Amino acid sequence: MRVHYLAYLAAGLRWLAIAVLISACSTPKATERVAATSTATDVAIEQSKQKTSTDPAVNPNAAALAEFKKRVDAYADLHQDLAKGDAKPHETADPAKIDVTKNTLASKVQSARASAQPGDIFTPGVQPVFRQLLAPELKGEDGRDTKAVLKDDAPAPGTVPFKVNAKFPENQPRPTVPSNLLLSLPPLPKPLEYRIVGRHLLILDTSADLVVDYMLNAIPA
Amino acid sequence: MRRLSVLVFALVLPIAVVAAGQELRLPDAEGSVKFAVIGDTGEPSAGQIAIAKQMAAWRAKFPFKFVLMMGDNLYGSESPGDYQKKFSGPYKALLDGGVEFHAALGNHDDAAQTQFKPFNMNGQKYYTFKPQDGVRFFALDSNYVDQKQIAWLEKELSASGSGWKIPFFHHPLYSSGKTHGSAELQRSLLEPVFLKYGVNVVFSGHEHFYERIKPQKGVAYFIIGSSSKLRRGDLNKSELTVYGNDQTYAFMLVEIVNDELFFQTINDKGETIDAGSIRRAGDRPVAPTNTTTQPVVPQSKPSPVQPGPERK
Repeated sequence: MRVHYLAYLAAGLRWLAIAVLISACSTPKATERVAATSTATDVAIEQSKQKTSTDPAVNPNAAALAEFKKRVDAYADLHQDLAKGDAKPHETADPAKIDVTKNTLASKVQSARASAQPGDIFTPGVQPVFRQLLAPELKGEDGRDTKAVLKDDAPAPGTVPFKVNAKFPENQPRPTVPSNLLLSLPPLPKPLEYRIVGRHLLILDTSADLVVDYMLNAIPA
Repeated sequence: MRRLSVLVFALVLPIAVVAAGQELRLPDAEGSVKFAVIGDTGEPSAGQIAIAKQMAAWRAKFPFKFVLMMGDNLYGSESPGDYQKKFSGPYKALLDGGVEFHAALGNHDDAAQTQFKPFNMNGQKYYTFKPQDGVRFFALDSNYVDQKQIAWLEKELSASGSGWKIPFFHHPLYSSGKTHGSAELQRSLLEPVFLKYGVNVVFSGHEHFYERIKPQKGVAYFIIGSSSKLRRGDLNKSELTVYGNDQTYAFMLVEIVNDELFFQTINDKGETIDAGSIRRAGDRPVAPTNTTTQPVVPQSKPSPVQPGPERK
């Protein structure tokens, strides 16, 4: 009888220890509790993911954006294939080598995309979706601020060529893209980035400094 | 005899005053983190040369190991010759002395700069480094604050394990500049992340002046964008300004000793224009909804330096 009692006690203690262990593992520390709180940034990113989702269940523009994603991903794959050997960017203390690598890569991309046309990526099907995504951010007082940022340190008028495969002019500032607009647009794979020049939206290959595609009058007047 | 005394007094006094302005106001403690901060340095100007010379001279008094660059590292063309003319030449004495530079990109910078070894960017437009335990820096690309960068920043900040978390980037989140002003769009995304993870101090450039901002929601902000370009009269001192100077080129010396960060801002003549310290109060993150408390940086001591006459 006494042996049974001790066995029950041991089993009970074992379960208690397991429960304490599980509890210790699952109770977040104070910092984790705060970190788990949603910030304005979390909310903005969540909204961005929804607006630019390629899942038809959450986004009515999913099909057009999926097609866009397919095209930019194809460009990124091509870039990766070409950025090899003497066209592979690598760290060096010699700026002449940086120049050579960039120019070699640019030449390879230009050759591989010699037949590329405007609208290959910004297809006629996706352009209205981009305008729809950008428009709310450019309305009202906030929109005025956004437009002011676009004008701030913009390249000199007429210096950026709206031509597929053209080089972005080296001595002009790279226009900062307002972060609210960036969160409204589908994310791009490396090394692609959006740029807005005047009212026009560009996709730039930042490693080769080439215009990949452009969309005129993306920003409402 | 009296005339001689007056003459001696007249000669010695200015020297004494200048010497006073050229004293090191940092503790120069053993084992501390010592660094310099420069911004908007890519203009090969007389101001840039003067600042570079002062940095080399001050390094003899304060042996800083690395320099943070706030972007616009090369204005205009970026040919191999430009790297020499706008960076390697002016900072040769520091580079030869083994000083490391860590650059952020500005709106005038080509992404190819990330490949330039002396900028220590490891091919990345945003990156982090830890000079020693307890202090971690986060170089951000404020030209392009997208989902990916924010996700990266959150991950790095949450895993940093450092008491001092110091982001640096080009566009100032708070500024009293007439030309640019506060980068509010970047602020709306970055500031909540800074508060969530207990960022202490932020350095930026873009504005071609020096401004020390009143701590905002517990975070201290400095603008140092006058290390080669100066926009005289562009600082419109506001309620944000603790001290500002748009009349001289400048750079900063910074030292972190345990929970205190000391700073000294020096102009192209080697004179101290601002100095003080910031105390860090533990790692307690700030609840993002709480905008009134300042648990991270409870105080920013007033500058012990006479800030000079108000600009008219």
